[in-house]
Amino acid sequence: MQASGQLDLPVEYLNSMLHMVPVKLEARLQEAIEAARRQDPDRDVVIAYGDCCGHMEDFEAEPGTSRTEGINCCEIILGRETYRKLRREGAFFLMPEWARSWRQVFVGQLGLLGPCAKTFMQELHTRLIYLDTGILPVPHEELAGASEFLGLPVEILPVSLDPLLANLRQAIQTADHHD
Amino acid sequence: MDRNFCQELLGAIERADRAGAASVVDDWAVGRAFTQVVPELLSPTLESFGTLWSQGHNGVSLATGYVAAKVAEDVLSRLLRESSQDGGPILPAKGPVLLGNVEDDFHPLGRNMVAAFLRAAGWDVRDLGVDVPPTQFVDQAEATGARVIGASAMMHTTAKNVARIREEIDRRGLTGKVQLAVGGAVFKLRPELVAELGGDGTAASALDASALFERLWQRSLNLDPTPLRALP
Repeated sequence: MQASGQLDLPVEYLNSMLHMVPVKLEARLQEAIEAARRQDPDRDVVIAYGDCCGHMEDFEAEPGTSRTEGINCCEIILGRETYRKLRREGAFFLMPEWARSWRQVFVGQLGLLGPCAKTFMQELHTRLIYLDTGILPVPHEELAGASEFLGLPVEILPVSLDPLLANLRQAIQTADHHD
Repeated sequence: MDRNFCQELLGAIERADRAGAASVVDDWAVGRAFTQVVPELLSPTLESFGTLWSQGHNGVSLATGYVAAKVAEDVLSRLLRESSQDGGPILPAKGPVLLGNVEDDFHPLGRNMVAAFLRAAGWDVRDLGVDVPPTQFVDQAEATGARVIGASAMMHTTAKNVARIREEIDRRGLTGKVQLAVGGAVFKLRPELVAELGGDGTAASALDASALFERLWQRSLNLDPTPLRALP
């Protein structure tokens, strides 16, 4: 979006594995917001996150701050209705970064090993859905590995970044009004 | 040397080894009445596991918690099977109680674990699933006579729907009579939300849910011992 000129703002990316420990994510997010404020006190801060830690609402309540609307990144990308429909069908979503690091998530963080991984996932989900934003090549090999390890079929769902762009623009506007 | 079956079962759970756990249970059952499996093997093992869990022990992960719940389910299934074959009494029933994920919440794992541990403790659990609207929780409480509703939410956004269950309970004049237990990641991170959103209590882990439900059930009875109205 930056490259195509649809957005023009500095972005700081945090490690997505922080989602596995929300308390750490919250602390790291706090640091990042404070650092951004120190760097340019007059500039608004947009938090491009879902409701990923316990005090997210406190962050966005601060003047000159706003957050993208949605409970998590998959809902932000898919929109509420599609997200709800697919979750009701038992979908487990993989975004590009998590698709590449699925082993770290499921084995390293959740401790799922051997047959436990399959029963765990099959009990809770019906299939994996990879959200293909078209920006990165689909990691077929990693997806096949995740599918085999977790015992779930994988589906590749092409998604548009337009909802994310609209969501970010809305958040930028909200931060403006929030000054 | 006598085998320490509780320790062996705990070891299998800590390795997230469900099959290994089943094998320990099979070995324990040789020459013993399976009706004693809950007080003699399952409860003490889950109690030890609960202690490790509450201490944040290294061997305890989401996977081991899941396997502990599965072991409880496996043991109870076998107990029910063997009890019905013997014509003997099935597990003592407490409740009924309701469980469900609040509206917009699609994270069933914690709820499934709570259901397994409650059943292991003898509760009649009616599981409403995920994305349950407030009216459905309260309709079902009235229909089944459940004095405790257990509502699960992972995030603050979805946890706000707990307040809507509270409103529905109060609107129908069931305040106190229907107690609202809440749980989920956000309540561990922000315990103040329990009271703020209208919950009557929470538990530190799925293993502590039974003690919480006992307290809430008793509180409901103390406040109003008459049965809940059943829907026509």
